[in-house]
Amino acid sequence: MEALYSNMYYVGAGALILVGLYIILVKSNLIKVIIGIHLLDTGVNVLLVAVGYIKGGTAPIFTRTSLAPTQFVDPIPQALVLTAIVIGVGVLALALSIVVKLYENYGTLDVRKIKGLKW
Amino acid sequence: MVAPLLIAIPFLAAFAVPLFSLISKRISYYIPALALFANLVISLVLIPRVMSETIVVSIGGFPPPFCINLVVGPVGLLLAIIISLIGLLVSIYGVNYIKEGPKDKYHMLLLALLAGATGMVLTGDIFNLFVFFEILSLASYALTAYNRDRAGTEAAIKYLIQGSIGSAFILIGIAFLYGMFGTLSMADIASKVGGADPGFLFVSLALLITGFGIEAAIFPLNAWLPDAHSSAPSSVSAILSGIAIETGAYAVARILYTVFDSDGIMLLIAVVGLITLLIGEMSAFRQREDIKRLLAYSSIGQMGLILFAFGIATRAGVFAALFQLLNHMLAKSLLFLAVGYMIYRVGSKKLSAFSGLGKRMPVSSFVATIAVFSLVGLPPFAGFMSKFSVVRAALALKDPMFLWFVVLMLIATVIEAGYFFRIIQNLFFKSGNSLEEVKEAPLSCLVPISVLAALILIIGVYPQLVSGILDAAAQGLVERTAYIQYVLGVP
Repeated sequence: MEALYSNMYYVGAGALILVGLYIILVKSNLIKVIIGIHLLDTGVNVLLVAVGYIKGGTAPIFTRTSLAPTQFVDPIPQALVLTAIVIGVGVLALALSIVVKLYENYGTLDVRKIKGLKW
Repeated sequence: MVAPLLIAIPFLAAFAVPLFSLISKRISYYIPALALFANLVISLVLIPRVMSETIVVSIGGFPPPFCINLVVGPVGLLLAIIISLIGLLVSIYGVNYIKEGPKDKYHMLLLALLAGATGMVLTGDIFNLFVFFEILSLASYALTAYNRDRAGTEAAIKYLIQGSIGSAFILIGIAFLYGMFGTLSMADIASKVGGADPGFLFVSLALLITGFGIEAAIFPLNAWLPDAHSSAPSSVSAILSGIAIETGAYAVARILYTVFDSDGIMLLIAVVGLITLLIGEMSAFRQREDIKRLLAYSSIGQMGLILFAFGIATRAGVFAALFQLLNHMLAKSLLFLAVGYMIYRVGSKKLSAFSGLGKRMPVSSFVATIAVFSLVGLPPFAGFMSKFSVVRAALALKDPMFLWFVVLMLIATVIEAGYFFRIIQNLFFKSGNSLEEVKEAPLSCLVPISVLAALILIIGVYPQLVSGILDAAAQGLVERTAYIQYVLGVP
C-alpha cells in the first residue's frame, strides 16, 4: 500500500492508459473510440510529467536565487508534454472531421456496420 | 549549415502553397516540385562531404547531448535523396492527376508528409523522431481521406486509430528511456544503454518497436495498410507505399541497431520479417480483383523481406536490407503511379478490366512491366541485385536455420512472381474488352515513371553506382560506437 501511495502518479498514468486502450478495443461507437484515444494520450502525458517530477519541487522558472537546482522539477518532460498535447489536439481534430465525413457516407457511427472494405 | 535546409525548405514551401494559391492557383501547384528539386540538389551536393565525415548540426548553440541535433550520416542522406527524388516525381505527376477537391491542401499535405519523412531520417534526437513521425502520420491520415468517399474515409479512420495507438506506445517508450537516462539524444542513450536495467530496457524497446512497427506494417500490425493504400488517390498511394512505410522501417532499424544494442532479439526480427513476407505474398496472391489492393499486399510482403534482411544483423545483411529498401521505393512508387492513370482511363480498379491494355497504353504498360520484373527479382533489374544480396548475406552466416529461411524466402518469391505475372498476362496477352477510346497517359505521368524505370535499369546493370553509399550507410547503422563518437565528440 505504501509503495502504491508513493508511486501515485505512475499508477494514475497507467490506469488512464489502460482505460484508454480498453475503450479503443471494446467500444463500437467511433466517437467513444476517439475519446479512448484521447484518454490514452492524456495518460501518456501524465506519465511523462511524472517522470520529471520531484516531490515538493517548484516550477522551473528562475525567480528566487535562494532556490537550489534540485528544488526545481525537470523542465524537459513538460516541454515534451506541451508538444504531445499539441499533436494530440491535431489528431483529435482530424479524427473528428473524418468521422463527420464517415457519417455522411455511411449514416452510422457503429464500427460493426462500417464494412465497405473487405479485409 | 546547409543540412537543416533539407527539412526547412519543404516545411516553408508547404505553408507557402495556400498563401500562393490566393494569388494564382496554377502557380501554387508547382511549388512542391520546385521545393523538392531544391532538396534533391542540396542532398546530392552533400554526398562527397558526408561520405568522408558524418555532419552533426546542433540546434540552439548548445553542444550535444544537450541540444536537438541533426545527424546527416550516409544512411540518412541516402534516404533523404530517394525521398526528395520520389517526392519530386510524384509532385510533377500530381499537378495533373489530382483533378478534384481542395487541390492546394493536397499539395500542402504532400509537402508536409515529405518534410516529416526527411526529418525522421536526419534527426539524432529520439523525441524529435517522434514529432516528425507524427507530422508524417497526420499528413498521411488526411491524404488517405482526400477523396472523401466511402472507402477513403473508412480506411483513414482505421489508419488513424491504429496509428495513434502506435504513437502513444512510442511516447511511453520515450518516457521510459528519459526516466532511465535523463537524455533524449539517441547517441547519448546509446552510450549509456549498457549499464541499465535490462527489464526496463526491454519494455521500452518493445514499445518503440511496436509503435514504429505499425507504420512499417510488420505482420500483426499491418491491418491498416491494404485499406489505406488501396483507397487513397494513386499518387498518395505511391508516397505511402514508396516513402512512409520505409521511413517506419528505417526508424525500427535505427532503434534496433544504434539506440539499443539488441543482438538478442535479431532472430525474432528475422522470423517476424519472414512471417510478414509469407503472409503478405499469400494475401496478394489471393487478391484477384482490386489491383491496388494487390499492390498494397505486395508492399507488406516486401517490407517483410526488408525486415528479414535487417534481422540477419551483419553488415552484409543491413546492406542487403537497404538495397531492397531502395528497390522497393523505386519500383512500388512507379507501379502505383502507372496503375493510377490506367485506373483513371479504364474507370475500374478490377484486374480483369485491364485486359488488352498493353496495346492502348503501351508506354505505361511497358514501364510497369519493368517495375514488376524488378520487384520479382529478375535480372538485369535492381530487384535481382537486391534479392541476390539478401540471399548471399543470409547464407554467409553458415547457419542451417537461415538456410531454411532462405528456402522460405525463395518460395515467397515464386508466389510473388505468380501474381505479378498475372498482371502482365492481363496487360499484354488477353483481350476482349472494348478499350477503343482509351488513350495513353499524359506526359506528366510518362516522364516520372520513365525516370524511375531508367533508374531501376541503371542500378540493375551497374550496381556499383549505389553500392558505395549503401555500404557506407550499412556501416553507419551497424557501427554504433562510431555514431556515438561522431555525435558526442571523442569520449
